[in-house]
Amino acid sequence: MTANAAPARPETQASLIRRRRPNLGDPLLAWGVRILSWLALAAIIGMLLDTARNAIGLLEHTSAWDFLTGTLWQPASTVYGALPFIYGTAVTSLLALLIAVPLALGAALLVNEYLPPRAATPVAYGIELLAAVPSVVYGFWGVIVLVPVLRSVQQAVAGSALGAISVFSGPVAGPSYFAAGVILAIMILPIVTSVARDAMKATPRLQRDGALALGATHWETIRHVVLPFARGGIFAGVILGLSRAIGETIAVLFVIGNQPQINASIFAPGYSLPSVIASEFAEANQPFHPEALIGLGVILFLLSFAVNLAARTVVGRFEKRAGGADVR
Amino acid sequence: MFAERSLRATGRGRRGTNRLVFVLCLAAGALALLPLVLVLFYLLTEGLKAWSPAFLVSPPGGITSKSGGAMNAIVGTLEMTGLGLAIAAPVGLAVALYVTEYREGRLAIAVRTAVDLVAGVPSIVIGLFVYSLVVVTMGHFSGLAGAIALSLVMLPIIARTSEEMFKIVPRRLREGTMALAMPRWRAIVAVYIPTVASGIVTGIVLAVARAVGETAPLLFTALGSNFVVTDLNRPMSALPLYMFQNALNIGFPAARERAWAAALTLVAMVLIFNVLGRWLANRNGLEGR
Repeated sequence: MTANAAPARPETQASLIRRRRPNLGDPLLAWGVRILSWLALAAIIGMLLDTARNAIGLLEHTSAWDFLTGTLWQPASTVYGALPFIYGTAVTSLLALLIAVPLALGAALLVNEYLPPRAATPVAYGIELLAAVPSVVYGFWGVIVLVPVLRSVQQAVAGSALGAISVFSGPVAGPSYFAAGVILAIMILPIVTSVARDAMKATPRLQRDGALALGATHWETIRHVVLPFARGGIFAGVILGLSRAIGETIAVLFVIGNQPQINASIFAPGYSLPSVIASEFAEANQPFHPEALIGLGVILFLLSFAVNLAARTVVGRFEKRAGGADVR
Repeated sequence: MFAERSLRATGRGRRGTNRLVFVLCLAAGALALLPLVLVLFYLLTEGLKAWSPAFLVSPPGGITSKSGGAMNAIVGTLEMTGLGLAIAAPVGLAVALYVTEYREGRLAIAVRTAVDLVAGVPSIVIGLFVYSLVVVTMGHFSGLAGAIALSLVMLPIIARTSEEMFKIVPRRLREGTMALAMPRWRAIVAVYIPTVASGIVTGIVLAVARAVGETAPLLFTALGSNFVVTDLNRPMSALPLYMFQNALNIGFPAARERAWAAALTLVAMVLIFNVLGRWLANRNGLEGR
């Protein structure tokens, strides 16, 4: 008996291994996942290369330097300069930040610090809903409702003593860098607010209580504890907002006035990188016009890539400090 | 006495500042909500005036004609979003699995970086990408190109949410599948995916909410069409495109009305998906953004 049992053990093990069905599922799923992922990667790389190749066609006509620094955009006489659009994108995005950031910080403080939860939830929800409205709706609403209101605001400012400064000078048409900045501010407000709120929420309870116990008022607690703690996160939110503002297309197209020019006055009509691509590409039939627009797309891509990279760096640094709080 | 008075004065100053900041924050909150109120107000008043159930099921008329609906746009949106999702959902899930479960070194990092890159790209540039790859290759604008553009809008959202979900599969569950000697594919298909399915669905719903409202990626991929087209090989309209084209002809009262009606329909669709997504996200303890 015992003599039989000893060799039986390895035999059972061997038969167990033999009995197990060949495992087809593992390679099947692994290869499925691999192939789909590689396909996605290949498609993305392919698109980047194809787009770059299309844009490079422009270099037969205009040198990269002339394209980047050219201030004239006249497809009818095949003159392509990108500067009016770069300028427009920069001005409108900065205006959007100037308007949106204070509002977003105030709203974030209101929701996080002042309002009782019962009132805070609907306010926060309302602000986040702003992000859900499609940009074409903002654009159309902007033309019909916002631009007429802003026209009188702009006329008042341009007519006042401020109008002597070239930044605020007339004539006022209505659609302008300023109108685009306001629309963009509305559109980036939710992301800046919500990232700032997440950052403020991560303030350690102890530090906050400590400040209050020392006799600080609520504002002093915010000023000296909450804001310094959330600084990185707030900055990340601002950069994310900037990245949205740079790429926003349709809403800007409706309210910026669509004039490829560089004007010091924020009340003058202008143009932005994404909006000129959107409005001219489908009908671009002049020589090198499509290539020039794709070239603008490449500039836009690089610009938003740089801003996103900056955002990621800041978020990464902030995450490390906040111990993994998610501020994406 | 002097000291006491100055102390009290500072106290009042500090309290005054405190109150002032509260009032400023209140004003900021009110100003932040004002656009939402105004947009919704105009959508409801102007939109409801122009909207009727017939709008959804009538083919479009000319720019000046009073009659005519958005059936071409509704059909196009459903078809392109549907096909886009049919591409983006499996690929997004695969990317998430590849990056979290399989983690094949540099390739996984490359895949993730590429998908993140697309997430950060302005949607108009996605339109240019798809134009360069698909429209130029096919030689014409098409619903298929539009669907691919929308799938690129959705892919990073789905991949990102699914990735986050796979990361939070409880360790105990993972160890359980190992203890049962489950092959990896069964662990993934029968345990991990069902565990986090609701989170993945949340990502999909939020992705659809985004894609349904996008105009820019469709401008020179799907192009738009005045006919009710179901053939993906032909140019096709979509609700945002339809609204865009009518909104550009603001001088014509009929076009303006159609734009409002389309805006109302579009916002209603987007909000339904958004609220659904957020509700799912809250139920699963996810951040719905």
